[in-house]
Amino acid sequence: MKELEQARKRYDEIPVPGELQDRIRRAEGDARAYLEARQDSRKPSQSKLRGISHRRVRKGLWAAAAAMAVFVTALNTSTVFAQEVGKIPVIGAVARVFTFRTDEQQQDGIWLSVEIPSVEMIAEDTGGLADSINEEIHALCQQYADEAVARAEDYRTAFLETGGTEEEWKAHNIQIRVWYEIKSQTEDYLSFLVMGTENWTSAYSESRYYNIDLKEGSLVTLEDVLGEDYREIADASIRGQMRKRTESGEVFWTEEEGGFSGVTDATKFYMNEAGNPVVVFDKYEIAPGSSGEIEFEIER
Amino acid sequence: MKQALYQKIADYLIEHQNGLYRLAYSYTGNPEDAMDAVQSAAYKALIHHEMLRDENAVKTWCYRIVVNESMALLRKRRKESPVPEPWDAQASYIEKGYEQDDDLYNRVNRLPEKIQEVIKLRFYEDLSLKEIAEITETNLNTVKARLYRGLRMMKKDLEEAKA
Repeated sequence: MKELEQARKRYDEIPVPGELQDRIRRAEGDARAYLEARQDSRKPSQSKLRGISHRRVRKGLWAAAAAMAVFVTALNTSTVFAQEVGKIPVIGAVARVFTFRTDEQQQDGIWLSVEIPSVEMIAEDTGGLADSINEEIHALCQQYADEAVARAEDYRTAFLETGGTEEEWKAHNIQIRVWYEIKSQTEDYLSFLVMGTENWTSAYSESRYYNIDLKEGSLVTLEDVLGEDYREIADASIRGQMRKRTESGEVFWTEEEGGFSGVTDATKFYMNEAGNPVVVFDKYEIAPGSSGEIEFEIER
Repeated sequence: MKQALYQKIADYLIEHQNGLYRLAYSYTGNPEDAMDAVQSAAYKALIHHEMLRDENAVKTWCYRIVVNESMALLRKRRKESPVPEPWDAQASYIEKGYEQDDDLYNRVNRLPEKIQEVIKLRFYEDLSLKEIAEITETNLNTVKARLYRGLRMMKKDLEEAKA
């Protein structure tokens, strides 16, 4: 394509400002200063130790996540197990999350798996809370699944139109998953998470947390658990934890780079077993994508 | 700090600053933002040099950070002055009334973000598909699909313009 050469030429002719050299030098100077300051503030032996403990923590988390997954499955599929849990008065009686509908389909080499949760609350005076939550969840799941399938179909069309074969398309193994995970279930709170993901792109992943105060029969906000000054409390705790984690090598974007700039009433969180809120930031929200989702427990 | 690796990255940045700047400029569309993107990319590449496991990947590592920084800046700008646009035109920053100079360069800039990224790296920066896959953190097949799709879109576009 001759036009492509012209485009390339135009690109090559983009003038480079003389200031660029200074900017690079400044970046290098800043980086050196930063690294030297960091070096001074930590002894090599310490950092080594930290590295190891960090890895251990990670592994522990994975194990916990796996155990959680097993528990969730057991809770929802085995009646015997459900009956056993049902004997524990609080967990069984006040509220529970169960799989409302599961659906698995495959069409055009796109695999869709939907597992929609529902909340059931036994307490009577919850003012239809469970119903409104369920309605919202079901709509959310449906919408996500529909949009994700449309996206994958677009991709397929484009792929086939540009000379890809059906076999090659099948090898892409496109999977769309809508599912949920129970984060905690205690005497006071029920926390769970509804998620949608596509294995070929992370750009549209969605997750929504539901935290229910079982005593009040209402959805919980950060203000409810941390009090009126929840912003200050959460921000101070998160900033402190970020500092510590930065010291042990984790990377966070600065506020100017679009990093953490304080919690709001829209900040995602769940309640953990200890009854503390755990604030969750999406991939890319406050740190490079390689860090994935980032959590901070706010002790109270 | 791993002195040798740090130096290697610093050398690369200094030697290839013009190329990295042009790449940033092709996203941001103005010199100020492009310089900001390169500067902060250079800073990040250096302070995180220990995260670079493969010493032979300095090039793709630097490119990746420049692309990420440029995109982040572009997104921020869009957020500041949101212009509702159809999805396919999202990546356009070209002012209207510029149509008479509607060569392929401008057309590339109007392709969907991920596709123009592949086209630019392949044809402007002469990177291999494998390198592009590393930079964009996608698999090789996705890069190929995007390249084919982009070429096809440009061809169609050009044919329509000539017709």
